[in-house]
Amino acid sequence: MSAIIVLLLAGGVPYYLLLEKFTPLKSKHIFLLSGLLLLGAVVSSLYIPSGHTTSIVVIALISAIFSIYRATKTTNFYKLGYYLVFVNAPFFLLFEDQGAEYSLSLLLSLIGVFLTAQFYEKNYGSANYHHITGITLATPCIGTYLAFYLIALALYPPFPNSIFFLSYIFESEPSVLWYIVVSTIFFGNFLLAMRVMRKTLFGRENPTIHYVHMTVKEKIIHSIVIVLLLTLSVLGLKEMLL
Amino acid sequence: MSIIEKLNAIKSSVPHYWPIGSFIHHNPLKGFEDMHFKDGLAHAKSIFGGKVYMDSSYFMGLYKEGKIDIQKIESNLQYFLDTNKLEIDLDLAKHFLMEVSPQWNELRIQFFHKQEEIDTDLYTHLEKNSIFSDDKAWLQKLIKHMTLYEINDALFGGDAKDTIEKNIIEFVSRFLDEDQTTFSMPNRELGMFEAFKLYENFTYEKDVASFVEEALKTLQVKDVEAYFLTHLLKLHGWAGFIKYRSEDSDYARQQEHPSSLLEYMAVRLYAEVQAVKKKKLRDFSMFEAHAKNKLSDVILQLLKHKNILSGSALDALEANEETSSILKGHIKSELTLDALQIQHASDVLKCERSLTDLAIIIEKLKEEEGYIWLKALEDSYIKEYVDKFTTYEVEEEKQPLATATFCLDVRSEIIRKSIENTGAYTTYGAGGFLGIPIAFVEFDKAHEEFLAPAIIKPKNVVFEIPKESSEAYRAKKGITKTTKKVLSDLKNNPYTPFITVEAIGWLFGINLFGKTFLPQRTNKLFAKMKAQKPKTTYTLDKLSDEKIEFYVHKLHTKMIARYLDTHLDEEFSKEDIDQVWRYLVFKDPLMLDISTKMIEKLSIEYQITPKDYDFQKNKLAMVGFTLEEKVHYLKKYLTMIGQVDNFPEFVTIIGHGSVSDNNPFESALDCGACGGSISLPNTRALCMIANMKVVREKLKDEAGITIPDNTKFLPGMHITTTDIISFYDTDILSDEELKRFSQVAKDFNEASFASRGKRAKLLPYTNTDKDVMIKSMDWSEPRPEWGLANNMGVFVGPRSSSQHLDMENRYFMHSYDSRIDNEEAAILTGIFNGPLVVGEWINLEHYFSTVDNHIYGAGSKVYHNIVAKVGVFSGNYSDLKIGLPTQSVYLEGKAYHEPVRLLTFIEAPLAKVLKAVEHSLAQPFVLNEWIRPIVIDKEAKKVYSYEYGAFIVIKELDI
Repeated sequence: MSAIIVLLLAGGVPYYLLLEKFTPLKSKHIFLLSGLLLLGAVVSSLYIPSGHTTSIVVIALISAIFSIYRATKTTNFYKLGYYLVFVNAPFFLLFEDQGAEYSLSLLLSLIGVFLTAQFYEKNYGSANYHHITGITLATPCIGTYLAFYLIALALYPPFPNSIFFLSYIFESEPSVLWYIVVSTIFFGNFLLAMRVMRKTLFGRENPTIHYVHMTVKEKIIHSIVIVLLLTLSVLGLKEMLL
Repeated sequence: MSIIEKLNAIKSSVPHYWPIGSFIHHNPLKGFEDMHFKDGLAHAKSIFGGKVYMDSSYFMGLYKEGKIDIQKIESNLQYFLDTNKLEIDLDLAKHFLMEVSPQWNELRIQFFHKQEEIDTDLYTHLEKNSIFSDDKAWLQKLIKHMTLYEINDALFGGDAKDTIEKNIIEFVSRFLDEDQTTFSMPNRELGMFEAFKLYENFTYEKDVASFVEEALKTLQVKDVEAYFLTHLLKLHGWAGFIKYRSEDSDYARQQEHPSSLLEYMAVRLYAEVQAVKKKKLRDFSMFEAHAKNKLSDVILQLLKHKNILSGSALDALEANEETSSILKGHIKSELTLDALQIQHASDVLKCERSLTDLAIIIEKLKEEEGYIWLKALEDSYIKEYVDKFTTYEVEEEKQPLATATFCLDVRSEIIRKSIENTGAYTTYGAGGFLGIPIAFVEFDKAHEEFLAPAIIKPKNVVFEIPKESSEAYRAKKGITKTTKKVLSDLKNNPYTPFITVEAIGWLFGINLFGKTFLPQRTNKLFAKMKAQKPKTTYTLDKLSDEKIEFYVHKLHTKMIARYLDTHLDEEFSKEDIDQVWRYLVFKDPLMLDISTKMIEKLSIEYQITPKDYDFQKNKLAMVGFTLEEKVHYLKKYLTMIGQVDNFPEFVTIIGHGSVSDNNPFESALDCGACGGSISLPNTRALCMIANMKVVREKLKDEAGITIPDNTKFLPGMHITTTDIISFYDTDILSDEELKRFSQVAKDFNEASFASRGKRAKLLPYTNTDKDVMIKSMDWSEPRPEWGLANNMGVFVGPRSSSQHLDMENRYFMHSYDSRIDNEEAAILTGIFNGPLVVGEWINLEHYFSTVDNHIYGAGSKVYHNIVAKVGVFSGNYSDLKIGLPTQSVYLEGKAYHEPVRLLTFIEAPLAKVLKAVEHSLAQPFVLNEWIRPIVIDKEAKKVYSYEYGAFIVIKELDI
């Protein structure tokens, strides 16, 4: 029973399919809900010792592969955010209690994505980034922050996602399922992050868009997220080296 | 109309492209010069998209810097209001132009998430006049300049466009390669389409025109001309180069590997037909049927593809909402934003007019504002410079110690002024080719270079030949050549690069670290290792008929002898060889036993034919000049610059060139009037001619120009990157003369130093003399010099009118004395035909590269790679880049070059200018105002400006 609860909390089943049909809920709310549930899973994993059966991991893996497919069909940051929660669920379940730190890093990176989505929504009317091209040159500040979050999600060092990911890989015993989960998560995260980079970070500026720069308050909030991510990186490095 | 005629009808819209090795500055919109400047730009915008004027905010910046006179803004606005019969207050229009327009986009978008009340009348007006009210017109606008594979991509997803363009670039760059690759494409001599058939492994029996026709039929294209243009615009750089090659009969590579726009079109259409075979829409009829059934969906997908669909509409599309309601929502949102923009503008303007009226006025003002700003800027400069050119004190003329003629290039201005400041020197300006167009064959080179403006084909060939032993040079050159060949072979062989890098890779480190940390010393070291060219002279005299016959005979018989020696065991006497030659060229009887096959080979492969005999004879007949030609060119040059008397002991004529490292655009910094090459050969040739006694005598008899015996013409070379001037052929001077000339050289050296000091202030990140020098050898330097950037105008007139001014290398300066010119203005016409045409090309190339570097320029140098040795592209494949790189016209994101049309000041009577315009090649672009002519008529005491189709008086002179 506890395994099923954790499976649900960590995003092991694509419950967003139901929520997306429930009109009063917008993608922003689904993002917040799935984030909160994942946080619940992380917290609960600290108190409830759990061991997940292979079948649970397989369910989460199928959900992840389906979520990767869904993520390739969207250009909305909110949707992408919660799809990423589901993409990474098998990791949490496969590596049991060790997955908590990785999931925490994931949550932090997703907070960054959420803040970016809010910025887009406020200034461009929607969190959809399809037409907001070339922000690296047009609005370098938000471009830089977003690049950090995407690099973290793409599992590139020095961000904690990659450090915890690597750390668990080195520590655990590989099996067939292990290989499948690790490669799915690694390439899934990487390709989805690169897809966003190509579309909104790079390319030519869109002449029909009036690009807006970040306010000081927004910069401070994003900087805090980056500092927290780097703090987790330091902790992760310590754990890996000691 | 045949297919070829249809293609010819649109090809003027494709910008010309010259190979980068001899970079020719050109107007990318040359094909539009038969229209008025304003109309031409509007037409170009409708074809290429992008911008044709700078933004209002840019002009406002210049206004705040004091560069634009408020009166000029007002007068241009008033003219616009009068001609458009707009009954509005000038202040309102001015207010809009200067305060609302620079923040126009912000007014539309920045408040869009706020709920505001929309004026119903305004909304209805906008709705009625928008394209949204006509779905068909909207759809046509959206698919304008889209190919069928792009439409498929847009409607159903996919990346056929990327794949097709990449494949076409790969084929075209390999076909047009000029020895960059070591593995050349085979069968190129068959022509582009034939080679393509082998490349793609398909057969087609009929000709290329039929192929194109059939492909268009397969795709069911209705407007063939428009579709040709659509295809050519996909890669307009490559199309421009193919167009240039196919139109230049002298282009050797075109003769070797023929190509044409029609063949290129066949290649493109083949790729398209193959790609759409597997797509949902295989022809335009299918697209029309699809669009008819799912119009809203098609429009939405096209809007999405073009990145003009709002975020909320994109979300709705993702959520699979009904497309007609999404489209309605999109239209409503767009019209609301348009209305809000007008309402906010009205608030800023505090306008009491109805919003609908204001919308109509704003629409017209927005259409014209770019031209109004541009003209106001130009008018402000014209006013400033008319005052400057006509207000000065005439100094008494002194006998100069020497005179110096520089190219009219803008970069000569500072150095000329510096020379004049060092002593009694008079300087002149003339087109770098000096009016003497030559086909020059450099010593140790096998090909000729045309040293003249690109529109002039030289009729005289000049060879550079050594006048002292060249053995040491050849020996050293031989070693360098062999070393280079060995290294190149090792690098390009599939098996050896790894070993080469391991074994001798460190050697390249010397160059790498040396150039990075000790550029000057490394440069000196490599200069020492280079073979020094022996002293040379030029072949300036005509060859006699006997000599021509002798050389052609020698060339052909040598080829025959070599061929027979290698293919037959027998030995042939000179007479035998001669007999074979006579048989091949004159069809004389052949008594020797040589197979027909061999004779055919000599005739077909070795081209020993009556035709080649005539060709070679004609070519050799072009070598050198007749006495009449020599006198003609010297007279033309002297009268052109107005140097017809008072000759000093030393008359120097100084060509120019640029030196830089790791710079594919180096030739763009050389002499534009010499076809993008250095102009030293023209100066040397002219000086040699001017020093000939027989020429001077005939010149005196025919033109009454007396050059004293003790006057020596000496050629020089100005390196524009470092301002160093070196002199050539000084061995014609006696010891005494040399001693006196050394003072001149010393003064010029001082002037170089002073000039570098002034230029250091204009160049970025440059403070000292050393910094300027290092720029010419720094391989990471994107701006070895500013080149022709920031050019603004041309001054044609006596030096006395401009000598007192500091023009910061912004003016082309051509010396001209209207008193010497005849009633038909022959000299001025000559200036219009050569230097002015080149000046206009340079000016407009800079203009368009600045206003929209993406479309008309070459983008950032950082990503450039040389392709096929004909140009650059971005990354590992892209369109061939036309125009100038960003770094040549921009500095730190801001335009360094101020884009204005060439302000052409001519100090001459109006009647002579009118004659010159009437007779010259420049007539279309002068009359259509692609330049801004200003006539300073000191005889009539009036200054005229050519505006709105007539010369109008802009100032009365008080002299």
